[in-house]
Amino acid sequence: MKEKREERIASVVLIVFSATYLAGAFYIPMPVFKQQLGPGAFPIATGIGMLSLACIYAWQQFRGGAKVNEENEEVEKRAVIIGAEEKIEKKADLKAMGFMLAAMLFYAFAFERLGYAISTFVVFMAGVLYLDRRHLVRDAVIAVISSFVLYYIFSIFLRVNLPAGPLKFLEF
Amino acid sequence: MDFLGQFWNNVALGFSVAGTPFNLLLCFVGVFLGTLIGVLPGIGPMTGVALLIPLTFSLQPSAAIILMAGIYYGAMYGGSTTSILVNTPGESSSVVTCLDGYQMAKKGRAGPALAAAAIGSFVAGTFATLMLMLFGPWVAGIALNFGPPEFFSLMVAGLTVVTSLAGRSLVKALFATLFGLAIATMGIDNQSAVPRFTFGNPELLDGLEFLVVAIGLFALCEVFVNLADMKEAVQERLSIKGSLWLTKEDWKRFVPSCIRGTLSGFFVGGIAGAGAAVASFVSYGLEKKASKYRDELGSGAIEGVTGPESANNAAAGGALIHLLCLGIPGSGTTAIMLGALLMIGLQPGPLLFTQQPAFVWGLIASMYIGNVMLLVLNLPLVGMWVKLLDVPLYLLLMFITMFSFLGVYTMNNSVQDLYLMVGFGVIGYLMKRLDIPASPVILGIVLGKLMEEKMRQSLVISDGSVMIFLNRPISLFLLFLAVVAITNPYWKPIGRAIRRLFRGAPAR
Repeated sequence: MKEKREERIASVVLIVFSATYLAGAFYIPMPVFKQQLGPGAFPIATGIGMLSLACIYAWQQFRGGAKVNEENEEVEKRAVIIGAEEKIEKKADLKAMGFMLAAMLFYAFAFERLGYAISTFVVFMAGVLYLDRRHLVRDAVIAVISSFVLYYIFSIFLRVNLPAGPLKFLEF
Repeated sequence: MDFLGQFWNNVALGFSVAGTPFNLLLCFVGVFLGTLIGVLPGIGPMTGVALLIPLTFSLQPSAAIILMAGIYYGAMYGGSTTSILVNTPGESSSVVTCLDGYQMAKKGRAGPALAAAAIGSFVAGTFATLMLMLFGPWVAGIALNFGPPEFFSLMVAGLTVVTSLAGRSLVKALFATLFGLAIATMGIDNQSAVPRFTFGNPELLDGLEFLVVAIGLFALCEVFVNLADMKEAVQERLSIKGSLWLTKEDWKRFVPSCIRGTLSGFFVGGIAGAGAAVASFVSYGLEKKASKYRDELGSGAIEGVTGPESANNAAAGGALIHLLCLGIPGSGTTAIMLGALLMIGLQPGPLLFTQQPAFVWGLIASMYIGNVMLLVLNLPLVGMWVKLLDVPLYLLLMFITMFSFLGVYTMNNSVQDLYLMVGFGVIGYLMKRLDIPASPVILGIVLGKLMEEKMRQSLVISDGSVMIFLNRPISLFLLFLAVVAITNPYWKPIGRAIRRLFRGAPAR
């Protein structure tokens, strides 16, 4: 089962992460003066807790059989009582997500280099072109407002410093 | 000074703070933006409050919290509108409202459903605020006598109770909490000045800013999640026909369910410390048992709207008692508010009531004002709110992305924070996919530093003995609560195992 495999991989990842964190916690240097409880104690306790939970999680995922199904029913019943959020659709549109992730990374990269206004406009338009290009004119107007106009509103009225980038000469 | 005199003095002080034109305006802006957030599907109160926190940076603390509380209340409120008219809950605490609200709207009674939700929320919110005024100082007074061990145990109890209600799997929720605590250990240790988990990166010396994590885990995660089902069909939308007002018959059914919802919601949110979503489910269950019209539930009974809507607002108000008097957030949203207050430099807790009365009572007064504003704002403007649903999803996603970047950048002017936020967005998506709840992470981050500090102070007092947490009655009781919260899902299987054991034992 695919879902099962996903959770199994996740449990291994969590074990590795917890173990790394725990190992890191042991390497926290002792302070110069001695204390009742050094800076490493709390992280070590947290790390041990995480590692044991990750192991329990892995154990839950790797043991099979009918018992699990019975347990899942109990879990679902509980979920209804406490109003847990619905599980999300597993069929994700990986291509769209990859695009969005790339756009966000570019946005972070360009935020200071190109300035807020230009980078926002570019990312906004890229998103629009990729996701839905039926209302280009309207969306372009919105993009201009949320990039250039918003930049001036923020920097003039709210006195929030946003990076200007190459548009520095337009600053007041 | 006698109790009543003090009480009125405080109330007067509060209204004098909240009643300034600027604060009134902020309160209005808050409830307006909050309702907007609540109505828009995909942005829950947590995402909304996290995204809008940067707006409060330039404000005075009391003005900032008034704005935030307005957003919080408005978001709780706005979710019901879309539940009723479109069958799409704006946030998790109005999921139940869909059951009967949408059915009522289908029968052409959308107006009364909206009115019942609004008035129920108003009554419940006012009740919760009143309780906060009456009992807040008292609870804070008790907590004033707490020493470090009690506070540590209180935080353990708070974290575990909230965590145990946070998702399907207790193991996953607890892991999420510890993950939050682990993130909180990053940066320079306050007491020994030793850097921890900073990887030699100077920007990490101050630790990870909680807002970077919160916006990544909630806002950007929403973008990824929504991208997955972009091509969903447009839902059928019901319009409001006929009168908005309740009939005499409606009122008769409204009052008892409103009282039940308010009380149960306040109990769940204010005393048990669970969130508004839990409260709404509990209330619906209660209506199913206690209401005279329980057979109609599910097919458009007004009780199914009034009860849960009153309950979630009463719980939202109740959660503020925990936040203000004890400094322990009872839900993800209040955790974000706590984080924001800490960023401003205020430490919510019992001392706040005595040291910053203008702040606390100003907030309380603004909650009253906000409630009235919501009632006035919501019913006439319902048509406009519903129009908001016409905003295409892809534009909404771009706006969320833009505001996330804007907010996180203005906090520290740091590009590294932007990359970290995107990283947490991906982590948030993976967590959602694996059904690991994200709000415990935020609770862990916000409480982590303080929890560690209290633990170390306690152990200095006791000269290193952990028995200090068990020797003190209040602390012991709180830890006992924590154990109960964690173990309760396993009672049934354990009980079954014990019974099996005894049945299997040879009789002698």
